[in-house]
Amino acid sequence: MTSALSTSPAGYLLVLAVIVPVVGMVLSFVAGGRHAERIALAVMPVGLGLALVIALEVWQQGGPLVYIVGAWTPPLGIALRADGFSAVMLVTTALVIAAAGTAARNPFATPPALLEARAPLAFWTLLQGLWAGLAVVFLGGDLFNLYVALEMLTFAAVPLVCLEGSARTVQAALRYLMFALLGSVLYLLGVALLYGVSGTLDIVLLAERLRGSSGTGPVVAVAAGLMTAGLLAKTALFPLHLWLPPAHANAPAPASAVLSALVVKASFFLIVRLWFGVLPGLADGAAMAVLGALGSSAVLVAGAVALCQARLKLLIAYSTLAQLGYLFLMFPLAAGAHPWSADAWTAGVVQALSHALAKAGMFLAAGLVAEAIGHDRLAGLRGLGRAMPMTVLALGLGGLSLMGLPPSGGFVAKWLLLQASVQSGQWVYTAVVLAGGLLAGGYVFRIVAPALAGGNLVVRTGIGRAREAIALALAAAAVLLGFAPSSLSAVLLIGRAVP
Amino acid sequence: MSGAVAEGLLVGALAGPLVLLALCLMRPARPVLPALLALAPLPALAAALLVLSGPEIAVDLPSLRLSLRLDTPGALLLCAAALLWSFAGLWVAGWQRHGAGHLRFIVCWLLTMTGSLGIFAVADLPGFYFFFALVSLPAYGLIVHDDTAAARRAGAVNIAFAVLGEALLLLGFALLAAGMPTGSLKILDVMAALPASPWRTAAVAFTAGGFLFKMGAVPVHVWMPPTYTAAPIPAAAALSGAAVKAGVIGLLRFLPFDDAGLAPALVLLGLASAFYGVAVGLAQANPRTVLAYSSISQMGVIATLLGMGWAATDATVRLDAAFYGANHALAKGGLFLAIGVMAGRTGDRGRATIAAAAVLALGLGGLPLTGGALAKQAAKSALGDGLVGGLMLASTVGTTLLMMHFLALLAHEAGRPESVPGAAGRWAWRATVVAAVGLPWLLFGIVADDPGSALAPAALLAAAWPVAAGVGLWFVFRHWIDRLPRIPAGDWLTMLEAAFGSLHRLGDAAVWVDRRSRAWPLAGVSLLAVVVVLAAATALRG
Repeated sequence: MTSALSTSPAGYLLVLAVIVPVVGMVLSFVAGGRHAERIALAVMPVGLGLALVIALEVWQQGGPLVYIVGAWTPPLGIALRADGFSAVMLVTTALVIAAAGTAARNPFATPPALLEARAPLAFWTLLQGLWAGLAVVFLGGDLFNLYVALEMLTFAAVPLVCLEGSARTVQAALRYLMFALLGSVLYLLGVALLYGVSGTLDIVLLAERLRGSSGTGPVVAVAAGLMTAGLLAKTALFPLHLWLPPAHANAPAPASAVLSALVVKASFFLIVRLWFGVLPGLADGAAMAVLGALGSSAVLVAGAVALCQARLKLLIAYSTLAQLGYLFLMFPLAAGAHPWSADAWTAGVVQALSHALAKAGMFLAAGLVAEAIGHDRLAGLRGLGRAMPMTVLALGLGGLSLMGLPPSGGFVAKWLLLQASVQSGQWVYTAVVLAGGLLAGGYVFRIVAPALAGGNLVVRTGIGRAREAIALALAAAAVLLGFAPSSLSAVLLIGRAVP
Repeated sequence: MSGAVAEGLLVGALAGPLVLLALCLMRPARPVLPALLALAPLPALAAALLVLSGPEIAVDLPSLRLSLRLDTPGALLLCAAALLWSFAGLWVAGWQRHGAGHLRFIVCWLLTMTGSLGIFAVADLPGFYFFFALVSLPAYGLIVHDDTAAARRAGAVNIAFAVLGEALLLLGFALLAAGMPTGSLKILDVMAALPASPWRTAAVAFTAGGFLFKMGAVPVHVWMPPTYTAAPIPAAAALSGAAVKAGVIGLLRFLPFDDAGLAPALVLLGLASAFYGVAVGLAQANPRTVLAYSSISQMGVIATLLGMGWAATDATVRLDAAFYGANHALAKGGLFLAIGVMAGRTGDRGRATIAAAAVLALGLGGLPLTGGALAKQAAKSALGDGLVGGLMLASTVGTTLLMMHFLALLAHEAGRPESVPGAAGRWAWRATVVAAVGLPWLLFGIVADDPGSALAPAALLAAAWPVAAGVGLWFVFRHWIDRLPRIPAGDWLTMLEAAFGSLHRLGDAAVWVDRRSRAWPLAGVSLLAVVVVLAAATALRG
């Protein structure tokens, strides 16, 4: 355990991974105008490279990377830690941010006549702020630090929703803000309770102290309930999802892509940290079943609602809700030290990755569709396949991963979830995974069938092949995830706490 | 021939259609694509012939997470399927209707072909599931090609049943893999470990269920008649002849021949399908729909045959079933092409077409000297002389009757101008007839111990009388058949659609739940409830 409390040789990389987007954000804000965009786009490959190097280090070391900030050992100081899950989330984040940023060059270019415009400046600054927040969430080793990161994330994400400035988007953003703040309050309450019980907020130390002590049961239980509920509110797990559909469906497409692919995964990531990292001893039985039940109802209800949508972006937003549900099946299936736990853990992580890639690609594609034909009503998509084949292919490949067809990452995740549910005898989740796949097949069909049908669609020109290619590349990456070498699944398990 | 060449051919079998798919991306190459369709299945044909004349081929492609293995039963089916895809591709090349949606048709054609050919050679569970999806889902683009309301309906029904079948298969495969202690996903390893698996019965039931969806077994056959009725002629030929065999190879690969617990169920389903297909087929007025019901019946015969072999724990029945399937592939594909050819023919040429079609059609009923007679002879020992053997004889008579009904309807197709095939199409038809008549004789030596016995007078007589009985029955009852009340294609599909329509209420309920739970007061209450429930659940544990 001492290794978790001392800086590892390549630990400085973790600081860089946080610093780079922060510096980019500050520079963008100060330099302003067109420079904001240039700086953001220049920072993205640097961040992606850093994330890849971190992942490589974690893989080669076979253990987590640690950096103790200022050499002040926790509980006095704070730690940054990267295990396998953090590393792959960092890489996915950098990839999706870079793709969304590149796709946003056109809609968020500063008009030639102006030195500076409100929406572009805000977009490029906030995008990097969001990225910094995500990096801290994935690397932070201290519960209060993570609270700060979550707040940073929320305050960067909310304005992105209402960049357009219309009353509808402002209303959606306010809903998001209010509910996310409620979630923050609950999380902070829980953190305070844990601090009162144990005197530390460092995840590793906390886990040790909670394991050692007894008689703190009720307080820790209340803290766990408060923190989890707060994080669930930010993840928009059904039935705490009131803010997600309007926010994700009305935000500009590159922002929707980042929000749906990454931001909701950040709070999910923290729930995983909380139950598997801080409270592994409590992570079995009833509480996990509650999370599994909420996830199951999300898969079924949100999947059915997605099937009933008339607009493409809303359909994709509800599909996000359903796909988030799968993530929570990980809790009842991966908890404890059973033969199937590692499979279920891998399933959860792969689902998070493949959904991030597929959904980012689909939201970018949906944005292009709306831009090209002036609306996103499913009934008006006839002939889209001939007009924008690459975009339709992106929607189709993304859909393939959502349905869980091979060789996509979605298939790998669902295959492992099925295995784990069969082996553990938790048949309910077997049924949920299969039913969710049928619902996904239904709503993907509702996108693809009209798009493939004949029809003469009048398409606005000037969309540009490049943006179509980015959406396609993201969706294709989700499909190709299934071909990832088996050493990847070994990386995903690095740092997984086993009780 | 050296092993490397054989392995290369097997990989080439999959690469053939994929190369053409890559060409679809290049605009200048697109005009020549239709002409190349007939060539794409040739590497697969070569690989199949190689296996039929030598040892089986196995290749591992670890970078693609795929392993391939082609054995003799797989090669029998692959051989017939590759020939049919090639001939049907020739038909598409001569199509007069190049234009809107054509590229979509070609892409879907190549994808479906890749799945249809690959499924016979794939050797691991995820790969099998992948090719099964590939042979089922892109077929949507073939079925809806004409963009009529009937075609769109057939396409949607087809997708719905394909996805349902895949869900069963996925569950079956997950159960199979869960019982595998070493984690290997090779089909042979998984099947070898199955007897020790605690989930073996469920695994076999769900896996076989998925394949029965694909084979159109009663009562989940309803997608087949509308699909084959609506799809363009070459697509109907390839789907009914080749693609449907994905279900057959699935049963061949995944029935555990050492544990026959579920065999009676398969026999019962097979018998039901064999007779139901004939009975409802007689009440059809469209020759394509008649062929679809005949397919349901013939797939029922194959299921019965496999079930009887399974019940006797006799794994060699797989070879007989594969031979039966190979013969059916070319005969059924040829009959669909006959409908298309007939559209452009009148007078003597029309009569010649009918005569050739009669050989294929009555061959399905076991006309002596045809592939059908050979297939029935190969199946005889497994079916036995008991009740099931007798019922199968009766179904042969029924099939002949149904085929006479088909030929009568086919004669009415003469001179319909709307879908006249090009010269390439007429050559495709001739080639299919030659292959359907000749290939079974070439392959018979592989499945029969004494191939010459098929020419013995007793065998000829045994094959002749059910056909004669069927033809005789048709002459007696043909006016009565014509007056049968017509049953819509897909019979009880309309009821299913109505039931599915009422599922919209569930969707409405979900929308209502969603709207209510997104209201602020309820969301706030939910949030508090989650806190309390989670805290209580944790505390009770702690």
